[in-house]
Amino acid sequence: MDSSLLQVWHAASGSPFVPTVGKDSQFLVGFVLVVLGFLLTGTFALNRTIINLPVLGIPASLALAIGVVYMFCGVGVYKKERAESRRTTTPISPPLFRAVASSTRPLYQLLKSISFTNKLHVEITESGLRFAADHARVMQGVAHWNKNLFTSYTTNFPSPPPARDGSNSDSDDADEESPTPTFQISLPAFLETLQIFGAADAAARQAKADVDPYRSNLRNYRPDAFSHQTLGMSGTCSLSYEEEGGHFSIVLEEAGVKTTCNLTTYLPEAPEDIPFDIEDLSFKIITQARWLLDALAEIAPTSPEKLTIVASRKEPYLRLTSAGGSLGSSSVDFAKGRDLLETFSVKERWIQTFKFDVIKSATEAMRIASKVSLRGDRQGVLSMQFMVEVEGTGLSFLDFRFVPYAEHEDDDDEDENDERGEGGGDRDENGMFD
Amino acid sequence: MRFKTDLKNIRTFSKLTAALNSLEKIAWVRLDDDTVRFTVIPDTGSQVWASLSVDLIFDNYHLQSAEANNTINLELPLGPLQRALKSAANSNHANLRLTKRDGIPMLSMTIHTITKEAAGGGGRSSTYDPDDPFAAETSDIFQQESLELTMKREREKVITQDIPVRVLHPDTVETIMQPKVREPDVHIQLPPLLQLKAISDRFTKLALTAAASASAGRSGGAANANPKLELSANMHGSLRLRLVTDTLDITSVWDGLDNPELDPSQLAVPLDEHPSTRFRLAGADKWATVRVDGKDWSRVLSVGRLEGRVIACFSDDHALILYVYVPHYDDASGEDCVTYYVSSYSS
Repeated sequence: MDSSLLQVWHAASGSPFVPTVGKDSQFLVGFVLVVLGFLLTGTFALNRTIINLPVLGIPASLALAIGVVYMFCGVGVYKKERAESRRTTTPISPPLFRAVASSTRPLYQLLKSISFTNKLHVEITESGLRFAADHARVMQGVAHWNKNLFTSYTTNFPSPPPARDGSNSDSDDADEESPTPTFQISLPAFLETLQIFGAADAAARQAKADVDPYRSNLRNYRPDAFSHQTLGMSGTCSLSYEEEGGHFSIVLEEAGVKTTCNLTTYLPEAPEDIPFDIEDLSFKIITQARWLLDALAEIAPTSPEKLTIVASRKEPYLRLTSAGGSLGSSSVDFAKGRDLLETFSVKERWIQTFKFDVIKSATEAMRIASKVSLRGDRQGVLSMQFMVEVEGTGLSFLDFRFVPYAEHEDDDDEDENDERGEGGGDRDENGMFD
Repeated sequence: MRFKTDLKNIRTFSKLTAALNSLEKIAWVRLDDDTVRFTVIPDTGSQVWASLSVDLIFDNYHLQSAEANNTINLELPLGPLQRALKSAANSNHANLRLTKRDGIPMLSMTIHTITKEAAGGGGRSSTYDPDDPFAAETSDIFQQESLELTMKREREKVITQDIPVRVLHPDTVETIMQPKVREPDVHIQLPPLLQLKAISDRFTKLALTAAASASAGRSGGAANANPKLELSANMHGSLRLRLVTDTLDITSVWDGLDNPELDPSQLAVPLDEHPSTRFRLAGADKWATVRVDGKDWSRVLSVGRLEGRVIACFSDDHALILYVYVPHYDDASGEDCVTYYVSSYSS
């Protein structure tokens, strides 16, 4: 169906047409009028005078004309009306959320960077979509799809029905009083679906590369002047969430194919964030995400188990040390702090140890981001915030939070210089993450 | 028994071989005076019967045998054939003949390639080139001139590729029959196969990820290693690909495809009684559905590289037959068709 027609349909649902004569009585009224018309015509034919013309003749013709119309309505449209009325008994409410994008690439990239779990926690807000992934409660990644990534973005949240929604989304959004739809979906399925968009185009390009060996050698990766993207026939990707508990559906339309994917939604299970005390920061460092990626790439080959992060006021300012690998350990210093670190403020020496694999799950984010802000609070929670520049639509942010290994021996203070970086300045609050 | 031919349309032949090779390593090849037939019957999965006119891929075709129509049946490994065709792809001239080497029958492909390469430096060329076996002969007769030194010299390279084959006795192949399928319910022209393949492959991956996440949750539940895709078509130009798992329900629909007209003279039943007429009259909501194995289907779709017209015939809940018409570049005549028999899995 044409989408504009559909919109007219939805718009019209607010003001339904009510006939002056009810649908059920139309047949009766029409029949009576027609019979009356015939009777009057007969009487008029028997006694045709000038006086009888307005008294009998004109009412007769009127009664016939109107009666016939009502007969049509009553008989001909009767069946259809039945079906129609059945359909309109369930009121068409606008979907809770609907968004249309012309490209899924930035969406995919942002989501890919938090693809370390199977289940994705989705929250729909007025300003965009918030995706949270959680790994064993020690790591959390949050990606935002800002509404300006979409060409159209509409939400239709039911105004304030707190009694009904209170039971569903219990304590997840404590900071907001108006409930926003939250649910969980399968992350790998979502990512694969987004990749269907453009798959046909890529296949066509591959086919062309087969034919033309010159292209396959040199410019396979370059944008093609004849791809659908460039020709402006790129198609659309629309996301919608009809009603609470319903499917999260993705409709991809492209090059003659229409793909509809309904993802089963699950009830959110562990929605609360890892507590990170932004008021009580121990350090804050902003640097290029690329350098952090390089540092991790340097450490990764020894396949370590743990990664210790040290932030200190003196050299080596920021140090990443691996431990527990079978091939020994290595460490990377960001010693030339002035060149490498954009912002550097350390309130106190901060040493924490994390599981290396957990930190490594953030490498995809480091790859696509331009800058990263590393922050640690006094409890030892590490926050990495990545700034991703999305072409044409401004900035997006990815948030990661990591919970460190709990330290049991609590002997050192942050001022003491401990070159091994063990047992740093953390407090007993760490026990809460056991 | 004699078989000798020159090859032409090597690229097409090579693509066909690659498509067949993805399904099964060994093919039965039947050569006779008019047609070349390639048949691939894997243990599980889809069968292929490719029937090509001799003119499509062969030139100067000589065939002789004791059978009627000079039929020769060969069992041919497709991998070596594909490799041989690959090295022949940029050749000037290649031929194929049946020979015997050390008592083993061989298909021997001789590939002539002219390579152009720059001649050596001026100083070297004026003397004999010890590596060049022809240098001694030629330079005696023709004194080389200096101008030729900067010219590019053409060299002919001859490669012979031997493919071991087995000659099959006519009795052994008599039992292999082309599958009989009832009249199709729906016939439809498929969208470009590469597009269909790209999307089908994504579906298969989706099914695998869904199965993986489900089995991870159940810890050791038998993961569905062979996901089944549901493929449907109607007589009103729509093709639908569908996958339903626990986590999602995904459907791709192609609209506006062509349902070719049937030729009444070719049909066993009158057109009015043909199942497709019933499906056409039943409206756009009447779908003929088959369930195909995702991986097998992907292999079948690799024939899309031939870029031919593809008609799919759906027998509801039973089988799917693809007719791939091999495009001719020189003349439009000929009925070269690769037929795929894909059986449907029960749900």
